[in-house]
Amino acid sequence: MNQTTGITVGGQRADARIALTSPDVDARSLYVHVPFCFHKCHYCDFYSFVDSRDRQAEFVQALEVELKAMSPAAGRLQTIFVGGGTPSLLRPELWRRLLQTLGDRFDLSQLAEFTVECNPETVTRELAEVLREGGVTRASVGAQSFDARHLKTLERWHDPANVERSLEFLRDAGIARRSVDLIFGIPGQTLAEWEADLDTALGLLDGEGIEHVSAYALTYEQGTAMTKKLELGRLDAIDEDTEVGMQLLTWSKLAERGFGRYEVSNFARAGAECLHNLAYWRQEQWLAAGPSASGHARGFRWKNVPRLTDWMESVRTSDGWSSVVDLETPNAPRALAERIMTGLRLREGLDLNALQEQAGTFGAGDPLRREIDRFVQSGDLEIAADARLRLAERGWLFADGIAAALMGSLSPRP
Amino acid sequence: MAEIKPILALDPTLGEEGSCPENPVIRNFSIIAHIDHGKSTLSDRLLQSTNAITEREAREQILDSMDLERERGITIKASAVSVRHVHNGKHYLLNFIDTPGHVDFSYEVSRALTACEGAVLVVDSTQGVEAQTVANTYLAVNNNLEIITVINKIDLPAAEPDERAMEVEQVLGFPAEEAIFVSAKSGQGIPELLERICEVLPSPREQQTKRTRALIFDSHYDDYRGVVVYIRMFDGKLSVGDKVRMMGTGRTYTVTELGKYTPKPQKVTTLGPGETGYLIANIKALADVRVGDTITQELEPAEKALPGYEEPRQMVFCDFYPATTEDGKGQNFEDLREAMEKLALNDASFTYHAVHSEALGFGFRCGFLGLLHMDIIQERLEREGGVEVVQTAPNVTYELLKRDKELVEISNPADLPDPSLWLELREPIVRVELMINTDSVGDIMALCLSRRGEFKSQQAVSEMRQFMTWEMPLAEIIYDFYDKLKSITRGYATMDYEIIGFRKENLSKVDILINGEIVEALSFISHRDTADKRGRALLNKLKKQIDRHQFEIPLQAIIGGKIIARESIKGVRKNVTAKCYGGDVSRKRKLLEKQKKGKKKMKSIGSVNIPQEAFMAVLDTSE
Repeated sequence: MNQTTGITVGGQRADARIALTSPDVDARSLYVHVPFCFHKCHYCDFYSFVDSRDRQAEFVQALEVELKAMSPAAGRLQTIFVGGGTPSLLRPELWRRLLQTLGDRFDLSQLAEFTVECNPETVTRELAEVLREGGVTRASVGAQSFDARHLKTLERWHDPANVERSLEFLRDAGIARRSVDLIFGIPGQTLAEWEADLDTALGLLDGEGIEHVSAYALTYEQGTAMTKKLELGRLDAIDEDTEVGMQLLTWSKLAERGFGRYEVSNFARAGAECLHNLAYWRQEQWLAAGPSASGHARGFRWKNVPRLTDWMESVRTSDGWSSVVDLETPNAPRALAERIMTGLRLREGLDLNALQEQAGTFGAGDPLRREIDRFVQSGDLEIAADARLRLAERGWLFADGIAAALMGSLSPRP
Repeated sequence: MAEIKPILALDPTLGEEGSCPENPVIRNFSIIAHIDHGKSTLSDRLLQSTNAITEREAREQILDSMDLERERGITIKASAVSVRHVHNGKHYLLNFIDTPGHVDFSYEVSRALTACEGAVLVVDSTQGVEAQTVANTYLAVNNNLEIITVINKIDLPAAEPDERAMEVEQVLGFPAEEAIFVSAKSGQGIPELLERICEVLPSPREQQTKRTRALIFDSHYDDYRGVVVYIRMFDGKLSVGDKVRMMGTGRTYTVTELGKYTPKPQKVTTLGPGETGYLIANIKALADVRVGDTITQELEPAEKALPGYEEPRQMVFCDFYPATTEDGKGQNFEDLREAMEKLALNDASFTYHAVHSEALGFGFRCGFLGLLHMDIIQERLEREGGVEVVQTAPNVTYELLKRDKELVEISNPADLPDPSLWLELREPIVRVELMINTDSVGDIMALCLSRRGEFKSQQAVSEMRQFMTWEMPLAEIIYDFYDKLKSITRGYATMDYEIIGFRKENLSKVDILINGEIVEALSFISHRDTADKRGRALLNKLKKQIDRHQFEIPLQAIIGGKIIARESIKGVRKNVTAKCYGGDVSRKRKLLEKQKKGKKKMKSIGSVNIPQEAFMAVLDTSE
C-alpha cells in the first residue's frame, strides 16, 4: 500500500495516457475512488485510510484535474460508481463540486446508473439531497451485519439501527435504487446467527422496497488485520461445512424472496442488477479516477498509484494523469483468461461462440475444450440452449476452482 | 621437496634393484578402509613423509579430486600416485593406488586391487572393524594381496587400539601383534608403516610374456586432455607413440602421453613391467574405456588378456525429469540432456536413455551401479550440470523368463508384460554384511526378516559387536533399509552388500490408479506377500501428498485388475471467493492463477493435480 512510485515504461513513469489517449476509446463507465474512512475495517483491503489532516478539499481538487484529463476518452457515460473508502464521508460541499465537475466534463445524457457507496453512519439528509440533486440514482449501503458482536469482530463501528435510517434518508431524498451489503462467515458466527441476521436484513429489504443485495462470505485478504489475526491464532475462521451451509442458506432465502443470483455474491430483483458491476464482468471499458482506482480500456489494465500523496503529486505534475502501478498491456491469452474468470461468475455465463472465436482453435483435443467438457460432465458447468456456458447449480460453490482450471488449461503445456 | 626425476623403463643394466634412483624397488599397494576410517589422511601423511608433498598440501586431501568426494568423505575416482623413498640405503618407488570406498564400486575396487601386490588395511581405533572393512578385505584377500594392518587415530581419547587389533584378528584372521598403531594426524607410527611397506610387501610379479599387457584400473575425464587412463604394467612396456589396442573393446589408439602422478603429473617416455602410471591417447569419452580391460601393442598383441574383465552392470534404476519451478517455467529437457551427456563423459558406469512419462513428461531413465551411485549422479547433475531434477522412486533390474524361453532384463516396472506372457520373474539377491551392536541383534533380525531376508551367519566380533550376513532381495534394501538400520542401532551399524545372483520369486506388478487412471510412474514390482501392505502404505502417502480437489478422488492399488488396497481423498466443499472485487481484475486473476499452480510443482493426470513429490512416495512405504 505504501507504493510510492508507479512503474516506468521506457524510463517514463507510466500513466493511463498509454491506454486512454487514442481516438478509438469510447469508455461508457467511470469509477471514482474516495479513499477516506473514519475507521479502517479489519477485513477491508481496498485502499483507504483515516484522514487526520483533512485533505478532502485537496483530494477533490486533484480529482477535478484528473477527470478533466481523461474526459476525452469517455463516450456517453452509462454508469458511474463512486466507491471507497467511504465516499459518504466526503463533505456535502465537496460532493457538490465533484458532481458539478462530472456534469461539466462528461456527457451524462445517457447515464443509466450512478451509484455511491455509503456507510450507514455517515449518510445525512443533507448529503442524500446533494447526491440526488447531482444525479446520483443509486446507493449501496454497507450494512454487513445486524449483530453488534459480529460487527465488532469486523471492526465495523456503526450502530445496526443506522442502516435503516440511512436507507430512509436516501429514499426520502429520491434515491430509490438502493443496495445493501452483507457479510457472513464471520469468526464466531453460527449458522443460526447468520440466519437471524439474514432474516433481519430481508425484513428491512421488504420494508424499504430494496431490490439489490450483495452477500458474501468473509474473505481473508492478504495484508488485512483480520488475516494477520487469523495467522496469529487470535481468531478462528469458521469451518468449511458451516460456511457452505451459510452460503446455501443465503442463496435459497434470497431466491425465495425473488432476489435472483445474477453473480456469485450479487442478487437483484429482475431489472435491478448493478449495471456498473456488470460492465466489469462483461469486460467493458471503464475509466478510473482517484488513488488505487483500476481501469480497463483498449486491452490495457492499470491501477492508479494507491497512496493519496503520490496520486495527488502525480496528477498535479503530469497534466492530470495519475501514475499507475500493475500496468498490463494488451495480451490476447490474458484477455481470454479474464473473460472466463469474470464471465463464469455471472448467471448469464459466457457466450461459447464468442469464447471460441477468442480462443482460436477449439477442437475436441483443445485443452480448454477438454476442461469444459470435464466440468460439464461432472455437473459443475452447463451449456444452455442459447450456447451460453455457465455454472450449473452444483458449480456455484466451486466457481473459483472451475475458473482456475479453465484458465490453467490455456497456458501452453510442455 | 626432493627432486623427483622421472624414471625410464626399468633396465637391468642399471645394476641391482634399488641400488640407484633409476632402478628402484617397486611397491604397488592400496589403502583399504571403511568410510571415514582415515584413509585419505593416511595417504596424505605417507606422501608427506616421503617428501612428495608439503605440509600445506597435506592439509588438503589431495588424492580425492572432486568436491563431491570431499564433501561426502568418500572417494569415487581411484588414482595412482608414485613417490620415491629411500629405506636402508635402497631406493624405492611406492605406487599408491587409491580405491573407491563404497560397495557400489566394488568392481572398480577389485580392479584397482588387481593392480597391487599389497594392501594397507586401515581400521579406526575408535570404531573397529566395520562392514566395509570386511568386504574390502575379502576383495584384497581374493586378489592374493599381502596385507598390513593399521590401527588408526590412536591420538583420539576414545581410541582402543589393542581391542581393535584383536577384532581384526578375530574377524579377519590377521595376527593382532602385527598391527601397526598409527596416528595419521600426528604422524605417529608412519615411519614404521613405511618400513613395513618396503620390507613386507612383495615386488611386482615376474613377466609372463614379452608381449605388452597393461591393466586399466581406472580412468577419468579431463576437459583439456580427454580421457586419462590409469594403468598397471604387467608385461612388456609402453612408449609414447605406440599404437595400442584395448583387448576387450577392440579399439585402437596412439599413445600421446605417458606419465605418473607424483602427485603432480610428470611425463615419462616409457612405462615398464611393474610400474603404474597414466596414459593419454586422444580418447574422447570415458565410455570408450573399460576398467579391467587390457592394453596391448597393436603390432605385436598379447595372446590373452589379463583376467577379470567384466562389463559394468547397472542394478538400480530410476527416472530423472527436469523439475518445473514455482513460476511454472521448467528447465527444459534439452538442458537435462546436455547435463547427462556431459556427466556421461565423466562416468561410464551409469546409463541413460530418453523416456516419456504421462505423468512427468520427457526425462531419462538411468541405470546405476547401486544406491550411492544414484545419489552421486543426481547431485552431480544438479551441481555440475546446473539442472534441477525430479527423481522417481528407484527400482532394481529384474530378469524375466518369457514363454518362448527368452530371458530379458526388466528395469522399469511399466515394461513388465502381462503375466500370461511369461514363465517366471527373477529378482536380484544380495549378500548383506552387517556390523551391529550386540543389543540390536533382535531388532535387526526382525528388520531383515521383514525384508524377506534369509539369515546366513553371525559372528561375535567382541562382546559389544556382532557381524552378520544375510541374503536378501536387492529390492528390499533400496528403499529405506539403510535408514532403518541406522535408526535401530542409533547410527552404529555399518552395512555392505554384494549381488550374488537372481532368484525366482512370487513377484507381481502393483499398479496405482488415481481417479481411475493408472499412473505408470507409481507402478512397482513387489513380492506378492508384501504387496498389499506396500500398496496400502503408498496410497496413504499419496493421500497426504495430493491436495483435496472439488471432487472425491479414489485411489486404488491393483494387481492384474484385482484391487488390493483403496483410499480416497475427500472433495473440497467450497471454492469460491465471494467478494466483488471492484474493478481490480488483474489482482483476482493472479490469485486464481496462483490457486491453479499452487506452491508445489504439479503434474496433471486426468483432472487430478499431483505434486511431483508424490512420485517419490513409492520410495518410503514402510509405515
